[in-house]
Amino acid sequence: MVLRRFLPALPPLLAFAGILAIWELLSLYFGLDGLPPPSVALRQVPVILTDPQSLFDIVDSLRRMAIGIVLALVFAIPVGLWMGRSRFAAAFFNPLLSVIYPVPKAALMPIIMLWLGVGDASKILVIFLGVTLPLIYHSYQGSRAVEEKLLWSAAAMGMQPPARLARIVLPAALPEILVGCRTALVLGLITMVTSEMIARQTGIGNLVFQSLEMGIYDTVYAMIVIIGALGFILDVLFERLRGWLVGWAEPAQSIIVGST
Amino acid sequence: MNTRSSTLAYGLLGALPIVGLLALWQAIHLSGIAPPALLPSPAAVFLRFFQQLGDASFLQNVGVTLYRLFVGFFVAAVVGIAAGVVATGSKLFASFLLPLVRVLAPVPKIALYPAFTLTLGYDDASKIALVIADALFPILLATYQGTSAVEPKLAWSARAAGVSPLRTLFTVVLPAALPSVMTGCRIGLVISCIVVFLAEMITSTNGLGHLLMRAARNFQTVDMFVPLIAISILGLLLNSAFNALRRHLLRGFPEEK
Repeated sequence: MVLRRFLPALPPLLAFAGILAIWELLSLYFGLDGLPPPSVALRQVPVILTDPQSLFDIVDSLRRMAIGIVLALVFAIPVGLWMGRSRFAAAFFNPLLSVIYPVPKAALMPIIMLWLGVGDASKILVIFLGVTLPLIYHSYQGSRAVEEKLLWSAAAMGMQPPARLARIVLPAALPEILVGCRTALVLGLITMVTSEMIARQTGIGNLVFQSLEMGIYDTVYAMIVIIGALGFILDVLFERLRGWLVGWAEPAQSIIVGST
Repeated sequence: MNTRSSTLAYGLLGALPIVGLLALWQAIHLSGIAPPALLPSPAAVFLRFFQQLGDASFLQNVGVTLYRLFVGFFVAAVVGIAAGVVATGSKLFASFLLPLVRVLAPVPKIALYPAFTLTLGYDDASKIALVIADALFPILLATYQGTSAVEPKLAWSARAAGVSPLRTLFTVVLPAALPSVMTGCRIGLVISCIVVFLAEMITSTNGLGHLLMRAARNFQTVDMFVPLIAISILGLLLNSAFNALRRHLLRGFPEEK
């Protein structure tokens, strides 16, 4: 029974081991200074995670990411749900959203820093901008697909439109909204790392380039492993949460949309 | 008559927030709350943009960006589509590929960029590698999902008619999954566009992203907006060109309107 519980975790673990093996072989074959073997690089992971300054930077980055994503949830879900139920709202917002879609959000960092300074506000705003669009899009799709009869029944029983949005549309659209949240979580991490690599002030992204410029290559690779692991762990945890929240719905498959 | 005027009304409604934002930008500029050094007027930005379109060195930087973008995207498309199709055809290959995708897809690829610069250098190769890493997964997953959903009878008929398994995959299953494959490619293309720009912002000596960072270092605000507008328009154009291609290729598909 124990075996069966851990069996699903086996293929990803094997895949991870495979990646490490390929990395080790590449590094042995090429013998580059810029590509230390994983056996050397991974030794730096505990060193980084026990160093108070790096740990503080990492936690601080995650804190800003969480604030940015929560703000985006509060803004994007109502807008998306409203767009799905109102032709007016959809016609009003859709063209604007499709114009904003191809703008690289993390690239706004230097401009936003001119306005809001180098503090938390600009970093949180960039993350907010980075994750808002997929959240609106998935809430919109979910809300558009809500069974009309549910809404008619609620209306027939005298429920007002705002209450219908919160009590009928929101739960019915929840599976699709959570697909959006999953994308947003990964995108939030990407936007955070990217904007920190661009701004080079604080945070995980800055740590990577700091060690790169100082030539401490094993730390660079250890940081890459830490960021990659963060992405994977956040995704797995969210899948757990999603299964628990909307276990009743079909397991939705989604394309994880890469970067911002 | 009535539907036509309402389509027009909705079209105008959609233009409202875009025009509104530009007007707000101009109003903030005119009111003088923000000095021009922080927020140039939209007119100045667009004027500069059109001026730059005639400037040889600007166009050269656009060319550099386009080269990295397309090389990366095409490699990602070829590898992603092939891997997705073969994974549908072969259980063995899928059992290798899918766990790998499960681990690598949620990893922020931008984190690999420092590793690419260390191993492939600061020139084109590291940017192209990042574009491939970022565009590959949406294309691969969309292809795999699309091809696994194809009606099995189509493949069985081809097999019964004596077509080899591999040929069946590429001549029957892949075309039947074209709508999904095209969606994956369109998403991959816009992602490539964004990623190449970001990579150029992080470390580069040329390309549109580099122009933004150079302007930022020199506090030339107008010149910071121009590359950003250029890459966004490029993304919009590529997106709509791809949609047109998609409509053309998918004539007669029942699920396409």
